[in-house]
Amino acid sequence: MSAFEPPPLADEVELAAPPALVPGAMAHSRPYVAAPAHNQALGFPGERVPDWERRAVEKLGELLERSRALRVFLDSCVKCGACADKCHFFIGTGDPNNMPVARQDLLRALYRRHFTVAGRMLGRHVGARDMDEALLQEWYTYFHQCTQCRRCSVFCPFGIDTAEISMAAREIMDAIGLGQKYSNEIIGKVHKIGNNLGLPEPALANTLEGLEEDVLEQSGAAVKFPLDVHGADVLLVTPSADFFAEPHVDGLIGYAKVFHQAGISWTLSSHASEAANFALFIGSYEQMHKIAQRIRQAAIDLGVKRIVFGECGHAWRVAYAFLNTLAGPWDFLDPAYPVPQHIVEVTHELIRRGGIVLDRDTNAGKTVTFHDSCNVARASRMGDAPGGQFVLPREVIKAAVPSFVDMHPDTTHDRTFCCGGGGGLLTDDLLELRIKGARPRMQALKEVVEQQGVTHMAAICAICKTQFAKVLPAYGFPMEMVVSLHQLVGQAIRLG
Amino acid sequence: MSAIAAILLVLATAMLAAGLAYRLALWLAAPVPLSIPTMPAPLTRGGAAMRVGREMLLFHSLFRADKPLWAASMAFHLGLALVLLRHLRYVVAVPPAWLVAIQPVGRLAGWMMMAGLLFLLARRLLVPRVRMVTRTGDVAVLVLLLAIGTSGLVTTYLLHTDILAVKAFLTSIWRAAPEGLPPDPTFLLHLLLAILLLAIVPFSKLLHAPGLVFSPTRNQPDGSRRYRRPARWARTLAGGGQ
Amino acid sequence: MDAAYQVDGKTVAHDEEGYLTDIGQWNEAVAGIIAEAEGLPMTAERWEVVNFLREYYQEYQIAPAVRVLTKAIGKKLGPEKASNKYLYELFPYGPAKQACKIAGLPKPTGCV
Repeated sequence: MSAFEPPPLADEVELAAPPALVPGAMAHSRPYVAAPAHNQALGFPGERVPDWERRAVEKLGELLERSRALRVFLDSCVKCGACADKCHFFIGTGDPNNMPVARQDLLRALYRRHFTVAGRMLGRHVGARDMDEALLQEWYTYFHQCTQCRRCSVFCPFGIDTAEISMAAREIMDAIGLGQKYSNEIIGKVHKIGNNLGLPEPALANTLEGLEEDVLEQSGAAVKFPLDVHGADVLLVTPSADFFAEPHVDGLIGYAKVFHQAGISWTLSSHASEAANFALFIGSYEQMHKIAQRIRQAAIDLGVKRIVFGECGHAWRVAYAFLNTLAGPWDFLDPAYPVPQHIVEVTHELIRRGGIVLDRDTNAGKTVTFHDSCNVARASRMGDAPGGQFVLPREVIKAAVPSFVDMHPDTTHDRTFCCGGGGGLLTDDLLELRIKGARPRMQALKEVVEQQGVTHMAAICAICKTQFAKVLPAYGFPMEMVVSLHQLVGQAIRLG
Repeated sequence: MSAIAAILLVLATAMLAAGLAYRLALWLAAPVPLSIPTMPAPLTRGGAAMRVGREMLLFHSLFRADKPLWAASMAFHLGLALVLLRHLRYVVAVPPAWLVAIQPVGRLAGWMMMAGLLFLLARRLLVPRVRMVTRTGDVAVLVLLLAIGTSGLVTTYLLHTDILAVKAFLTSIWRAAPEGLPPDPTFLLHLLLAILLLAIVPFSKLLHAPGLVFSPTRNQPDGSRRYRRPARWARTLAGGGQ
Repeated sequence: MDAAYQVDGKTVAHDEEGYLTDIGQWNEAVAGIIAEAEGLPMTAERWEVVNFLREYYQEYQIAPAVRVLTKAIGKKLGPEKASNKYLYELFPYGPAKQACKIAGLPKPTGCV
């Protein structure tokens, strides 16, 4: 029932072969435009401002003064094309505007025209363009075909990160009143209700009570899902999808069982009932800051000692790399623990020192592979050593299941392919793009399914889980193949 | 003739210095408000500096991305570096022994540089996805470098120029009346094009060289759970934690 | 941009994706028209789901989590139907979104 049926996956894994160019292949793919109310809730103009061309240039100028990365990245590209065939959207669509360099050039065109001598003098010969309706439409189309996964930045000889460029472009579009419905509507809900879903406190409490009943029924253990408990040690901040969707909720049950068995007192917060911070996707520091403040407030109000994040990729980027700057200092928390921690760090440490015991046989019959989420892999860390974000999740999975297999090394660790749904693109209006963008991951998955009998793919990101549940069937795999990492832990953990 | 060449050379050098200084000032004036190294990243500043060094000297990321492109790029950049080193003998009054010793290597490097450039140009024109992102300016820079290389090789191997005269000219440009520029057309072309190259560095994609050093994804250490880095403009935001 | 369903000579506005803009305009006839547009005839089983969604929404101003829904359906239609898989059979585009649309409720947003 998908809107788009992808051609079957290749029999051979051809990760190296770049696709043939199909100009304009994805020119029709555009997300819904935000309604005025969605934009105004974030302080953006509701609709296109009258002198939007001038305002766009002015906003670009402001951003250049606020970010060295943007300036250096716009100045440094040599068009070597090393990034071109690294993007899952280019590989999946063949649209040349989905080459990271070409995507960057859409913003660089305006930058060169207004902020460089060469661009003012030589115009199109050095890729400079004026802001006009055509350019803006290309921006809206192709800056919403970037999941900000940073894979291109791994391979760029100058470290140019297209994510930074697409964030800047989206910020400019918001400033002139051209917002994306999916992201802006959701950010508004976080400001108003506290989470992406718009799940009010009574509904959250009811859902958690239901989970307590379920776990008691299935395992006989009185595992609690505490909400707004003052004086708990740990504040768990997790994506609201963990309360709502499958297989996310099985991950939440896994976290609860880990805390229960380890005897760690913990609580969720109805004020900060969301780990996700979609403001990252629209590039807005102010919005990101505002959302992050909810977590600070919840930590203060509940008097917790530690903050732990659940399985959410971009949230862990914001948490690990930005939260200290956005909402720190955390001097009121227990200095014995890093702030914040990832649930995988907590579980890994408990397994290591015997605080919890996992029984692999409970996952008999499963051969599991692991999808490195882009934001965890290329924008964060776990544990004490560089690369811990690759090691810790794998060690936890290996402790929980009888058989673990890695996918092709060109598609794991910092070379992992995005699921195709990150960066604010996990919306039904972009389904064709999402299915096409998932192709490189699906291709690598097919290889380990056929050659090594992989039955499940574990993920540690709410977006990845939802995206895979949607696109796996399009490629002939069962939707149940994607599991939460802590779903495996929750299955294997010995309670009591 | 000598005077005109001297003025152009001084002017180009001034443009290079002033242009670069201006560009670096713009870069340095802008803060890096968040921690954005491409992970995994080194944990210390020293480690991050090593990472930048590895990128500068070994083109580490490019190696991971595209081996043939890496080889061609290395041939060109390494060749250029050696050729430039060889050129030192035209300005150093008494060349030290090592400078004399590398002269044959430098000549070889000239060919290596040209081979790399030709591969880069061919790739740019023949590989569809690279061609797609190519603008006139991208080809022009390659053609300029090829022309400088060709004219240099021609003066080295075919139409020798009076090297002592060149040296006399280069060491005299700071005087009121520079002298001794040999009137050989190939050499003059070589000099003129090199002057042009110097002048356009700060206004073109040749900025990639300093860009690499200032690239936050490469030069930031991974320490965001230990250090805060609120930018000055961000400290005015309402709410806790500032 | 926005269009409308035609129900018994009346227009009922919906957003780009077919969700009602005013949930107060919902009635059973509207549900039938939306389901038709989705290519799903309204069977007794689908009505069970839609009715439960509406009851839950009345109380909590949000659609229930998928697990809450499966449990409720299990109670009503028998334990063998208490599964995500069964709900997907009823609503191939996903029970949360497609059933909400037919029930006239807002689309669940976020990473779901």
